[in-house]
Amino acid sequence: MNPLILTIILMTVFLGTMIVMASSHWLMIWIGFEMNLLAIIPILMKKYNPRAMEASTKYFLTQATASMLLMMAIIINLMHSGQWTITKVFNPTASIIMTLALAMKLGLTPFHFWVPEVTQGISLTSGLILLTWQKLAPMSILYQISPSINLNILLTMAVLSILVGGWGGLNQTQLRKIMAYSSIAHMGWMTAILVYNPTLTMLNMLIYIMMTLTMFMLFIHSSSTTTLSLSHTWNKAPLITTLILITLLSMGGLPPLSGFMPKWMIIQELTKNSSIILPTLMAIMALLNLYFYTRLTYSTSLTMFPSTNNMKMKWQFETKQITLLPPLIIASSLLLPLTPMLSILD
Amino acid sequence: MMTYIVFILSVIFVIGFVGFSSKPSPIYGGLVLIVSGGVGCGIIMNFGGSFLGLMVFLIYLGGMLVVFGYTTAMATEQYPEVWVSNATVMGVFLLGLLMEVMLVLYVLKSEEVGVVFKFSSVGDWAIYDIGNSGVFSEEIMGVAALYSYGAWVVVVTGWSLLVGVLVILEVTRGD
Repeated sequence: MNPLILTIILMTVFLGTMIVMASSHWLMIWIGFEMNLLAIIPILMKKYNPRAMEASTKYFLTQATASMLLMMAIIINLMHSGQWTITKVFNPTASIIMTLALAMKLGLTPFHFWVPEVTQGISLTSGLILLTWQKLAPMSILYQISPSINLNILLTMAVLSILVGGWGGLNQTQLRKIMAYSSIAHMGWMTAILVYNPTLTMLNMLIYIMMTLTMFMLFIHSSSTTTLSLSHTWNKAPLITTLILITLLSMGGLPPLSGFMPKWMIIQELTKNSSIILPTLMAIMALLNLYFYTRLTYSTSLTMFPSTNNMKMKWQFETKQITLLPPLIIASSLLLPLTPMLSILD
Repeated sequence: MMTYIVFILSVIFVIGFVGFSSKPSPIYGGLVLIVSGGVGCGIIMNFGGSFLGLMVFLIYLGGMLVVFGYTTAMATEQYPEVWVSNATVMGVFLLGLLMEVMLVLYVLKSEEVGVVFKFSSVGDWAIYDIGNSGVFSEEIMGVAALYSYGAWVVVVTGWSLLVGVLVILEVTRGD
């Protein structure tokens, strides 16, 4: 793409999310969402093959529907309260419709069907932007309306998302679909704690973004999009296999890595609010996620995966440059001892 | 009839939307959009928004729909689909019409309708006054305020339009 056009479009993606996060008027928030959606379509379509076009179309359709639902919720809120500020949603109907619209944007169950298909059809860098940056705007709105969200709907969607994210990822060998199902499950964890303690939602979002960034950077570095291709990285860059091991285990939520911090805090907050069965279920279902992460580490770092003999030398284009990998690795694996610092938040 | 003019116009509006949602060829969709646009302009004018109604006719029908008509005329096929040519299209159209008729009868018969939000029968659609201030029309003042207090909104919408054009050109560029 022409560099000037690419700059303008990336700036607009950034500006759209910033407008959503910084506005106090519902109309400006909707405008920010639409600007974000419009500008990310050519980024998803970088490759011009039919798969990418189909993925971009699916993304556009689902997000546009979600924006329409959001607009309807905004208008119902306007009808019942007569004002446009975002602080409190006055009508339960508007609140429910808004929650459903934002869940569609995030990819929570039962609106999760687009996430694996869109992530699979686009390039790795576009998938990175899709799964990290695009989650910021809807989550910030959910944070701001969190006092008036219907708990039953949100918790149902969260638990189902963790379930679907875990079960759906079990049969996948394509790395982008694995990351998509991992994103669905993490969104489920984030929205489960939203009503009780929204600060932990932000903490989980931060750590999830760092871990997903790290994973995608490692995939981009080894130019691999399938498990088989990833299992050949021991050949080209053995250090990458160790980093993949550490980051995947961190994503699975194992102590002493930093992925454990959000899960621990969330379970603690949920039990403080006298719900015991829910966090038990969530922790058990996170094991499904951990299973396919460890299967990836098994094929990548722990064994020399079987392949044909002429594939033993990994063939790839020139190694792509990855940005910021060392700080990301540190941040996604070693942050657990900083947990007592959470007391400064809120 | 004049007290229920907004109700009648909105029924025609919805029937128009059903007409193009049943997906005949885009030429016929554009035709129905003209009708819906005109009727929508009537609805807005009944709420006192004469300037905005004029905007609908000038900009929407006279600008955007004309360009849409030209591009569709360039890209149309030899035998475009009408509502009666394809069983699916006719079926969906009739189904939509049926649902609208049922809704109208339900609204006319029962005292109040609570589908997503409540409105009480047909009386809610009758307009008795057009705003609280008797001195000026708020709608034109709102448009003026867009360019003074709401300068940031103008910047944002202008930028969105520019990026919209760039995105469309980028997407249709191909390889």
